[in-house]
Amino acid sequence: MSAVKASTALALVCGAGLCLAASSQARAETRGFVISWFATATDIPDYKVDCPLGRMDGQTEMNVRQLREIGYSQEQAVKIVADAGAQLGPDYRYRIDTNAQVKGKPASVFNYPDATADPNIETVTGPYAYGFDLGGKAASKFIDPETHQKIDNQLWRSVGCTESFHEAPPGKPYPEELSWNLMIDSAPAWTLQLSGKDLSHDGPVTITIDSATQHLERDANGNVLADYTYIVEPNSRSHNVLAGEIRDGVLTIKPKDIYLEGELPFYAEIALRGAHMRFKAEPNGTLVGYWGGYLNWRRFVYMYTARPANGADSIGLYHALKRFADSDPDPKTGQNRYISGTFRMEALPAYLARLDGTVIAPPVHNPGALQRVEPPHTDVKTVTN
Amino acid sequence: MKAIPIPRVRTWLARLLPLAALVPLQSAWSAPASPPPASSDASTPLALRLSPSQYRQSILDIFGPSVSITGTFEPETRVQGLLAIGARQSNVSDSGLESYDDIARGIADQVVDQKHRATYVGCTPRDPKASDDACARSFFSRVGPLLYRRPLTPDEIEARVRAAAVASGDVHDFYGGLSLSLAEMLISPQFLFRYKMYEPDPAHPGGERLDAYSKASELSFFLWNTSPDQELLNAAATGAIQTPAGLEQQVNRLISSPRVTEGVRAFFGDMLGYSDFDTVAKDPSFFPRYTLNVKDESQEQTLRTIVDHLVTRHGDYRDLFTTPHTFLTRALAVLYGVPLVDPSDNGQPQRWIPYTYAPGDPRSGILSEASFTALFSPSGRTSPTGRGKALREYILCEKVPPPPGNVSFKFVEDTTNPQFKTARARLTAHRSEPMCAGCHKLTDPIGLALENFNSAGGYRTDENGVAIDATGEMNGHQFVGSVGLGNTVHDDPATTSCVARKAFAFETGYMPPGSDPQWQQIMQKFSASHYNFVELMRQIALSDLSYEPQGPAALTASN
Repeated sequence: MSAVKASTALALVCGAGLCLAASSQARAETRGFVISWFATATDIPDYKVDCPLGRMDGQTEMNVRQLREIGYSQEQAVKIVADAGAQLGPDYRYRIDTNAQVKGKPASVFNYPDATADPNIETVTGPYAYGFDLGGKAASKFIDPETHQKIDNQLWRSVGCTESFHEAPPGKPYPEELSWNLMIDSAPAWTLQLSGKDLSHDGPVTITIDSATQHLERDANGNVLADYTYIVEPNSRSHNVLAGEIRDGVLTIKPKDIYLEGELPFYAEIALRGAHMRFKAEPNGTLVGYWGGYLNWRRFVYMYTARPANGADSIGLYHALKRFADSDPDPKTGQNRYISGTFRMEALPAYLARLDGTVIAPPVHNPGALQRVEPPHTDVKTVTN
Repeated sequence: MKAIPIPRVRTWLARLLPLAALVPLQSAWSAPASPPPASSDASTPLALRLSPSQYRQSILDIFGPSVSITGTFEPETRVQGLLAIGARQSNVSDSGLESYDDIARGIADQVVDQKHRATYVGCTPRDPKASDDACARSFFSRVGPLLYRRPLTPDEIEARVRAAAVASGDVHDFYGGLSLSLAEMLISPQFLFRYKMYEPDPAHPGGERLDAYSKASELSFFLWNTSPDQELLNAAATGAIQTPAGLEQQVNRLISSPRVTEGVRAFFGDMLGYSDFDTVAKDPSFFPRYTLNVKDESQEQTLRTIVDHLVTRHGDYRDLFTTPHTFLTRALAVLYGVPLVDPSDNGQPQRWIPYTYAPGDPRSGILSEASFTALFSPSGRTSPTGRGKALREYILCEKVPPPPGNVSFKFVEDTTNPQFKTARARLTAHRSEPMCAGCHKLTDPIGLALENFNSAGGYRTDENGVAIDATGEMNGHQFVGSVGLGNTVHDDPATTSCVARKAFAFETGYMPPGSDPQWQQIMQKFSASHYNFVELMRQIALSDLSYEPQGPAALTASN
């Protein structure tokens, strides 16, 4: 976003009386959020531009391709798929899934993806993707549609033509949506604290990300509830303190490694090296933005491998990610072990508290509460029984 | 027990009627004045149908908590603001009888199933595929008095035994037969209705009093919301309950038990109209925080507040309308816009956390809670009229006339009219119609003080961009907001007289005669106790007035 646009956005936010800070007092304040939406950052304004070959045609295309890999002709494969419908029969699926060759014997393609031929799936050749300039090669840069900066996001290049990634917020890529919606009612949430001298103005801020001891809660529409109270888990492996700043209504951080432990099948962890962030505040107080950095591509693809069907082309993605990995070469093989990538995030206002009952961060705004009863973050204790 | 195609109890029972010599079925349920075989010269008995909660609690107490009760109960009728009074007029419809039948079958099947039979049946048949009169007799002799809340006559027990035997023979299963016979007891008027039987009062020649078993039931349902336990039935059997000392002993026993909270909860759930929550729904587009859990928890919040204040703290009843002390769950805290730290482990049920509204908080007292503000609001907007009417009728025992049949609600219901952006403005326009003005003067100035609470009970400062004016008035007293309203209700004499009258009616089924010296004595003691509600219950339970036959005047007044 240009500086002009960013300023306009902040002005709109403040004009609605929903500035990040409730007052202009020059005292430190901390506001609480809970991450309410998280997924791979997708950008599909024009699929034909991103993926001009049009080779990736979802489950049907994948099934035909995989049948050909096990020896069927194109005509035979097309007929088998047409007869079978969306799901191939178990015999075909077994042969496809054991098409790896290990010591001359068939083996699971999921256990031995390197012993499986690269299907050379189509990857993104269009110019746009969300992300950050991580210092990667100029030739592989995308342009971020929001900042118009050249950025690194080889993760998107690898996965962006796959059908399950043809989603735009509020939708998520299918396996991620499935994992998120199944698990957020039980998996501990991730909290985010935003601290600064005056969050309504430009200046330095500190972002602290942790796990909560409790899971997200939903409202009457099935969406995540704002203004819930979460306890920040003490001494968790997910504790991240990041230095950042607000400039022209956009919050960014100084690059730093981030690690979040998760209990979702898709996001068993979020581990980014040299992570960047970029957030804006929506009029209702929600933070919306992106995280980017280098992630272990194997771990990412293993999350897909856990759900090999449903249009997720595990082996195709494996080879694409391996091919486009762009950081941390293995000293022995030269194979890059990390890949640049970007995730989109939303964080709703929430009360954050310690186990002892002390509220450490009230929400950025609270339509259900009077300002006068909104507690300062240092002196409110809730009695527990 | 193997699966056996057993017909509905009613259908099966019809075959047995000549054998069992039972009361005529349909007339028994449609005219529940059919008396049990008790006193011969009693006055016409009153029959009060058990409420769903009384039914459930009775079953749980008799058979244990592992028996689940599923099904839909017959709708209840509210009279003079209480279902307990309406219970006097309640019968059982054809469809209701089908429902009771299903519920009874479910219970009876569980009582005799493999999991429970050793505990609940209490004996083992000689042959599980055949009838066993001795075992059946033992079972019905034990559970019969608990279900009918009085001893069963030998004929009644033998009828149960024979019914079980015939059914066992039909289905070649002792437990199947026992289940059918038990299910029949559970749809009997003797179980579904609480009869008030009267007998000559030896202390007042020519007068009558409630008989001992009726008195035991009345006490038990009043104080514990359940059927009398064995000790209470024993006190009835010996006649001790008919003596002042014996009655006092039982009343003190019941009141000193933690189970008195069940009686308090049942009474206030009735008085505050919580049965109407069944039909409460809020538009999730506007009120996403009002989840199904929040709907249930809002009732529980107020009941917990009441029990804590009245039973645990022995507080002044009037302070319920001003107390800052309550209980919240995290979900309710979201609705109220406050933080609530619950250190329960992830995945554990949310706990109820004691919470005190901070000084200056717009909430204090039960009228500011969602159990009141949301219950008496339509789906998408508030209703100051509905809230004011509810307060007058439920809390102050006043009658607000219904609207005329030809009244137009065009101003009130249109929340998008740019001329009338607030409920106050809409109601002002509505009152411009002369036919509406009179009654709305009674209700609207009360309800408008609660306008800071939206239809779901959440806090708001404006409506359609216009700041809310929460000034109100009641009986000449001006105030602002729910806090001011709570103070006014606290100080209104009708507040205490209303709860006392309703508590009496909750036990007896009719409103007390206000001029009766005994009633005036109860009120004096209530006042002297600083409006200690448990003490009020004790005085009502000990008073002869509660056990006297109500005259035509009382019945007419109740109707």
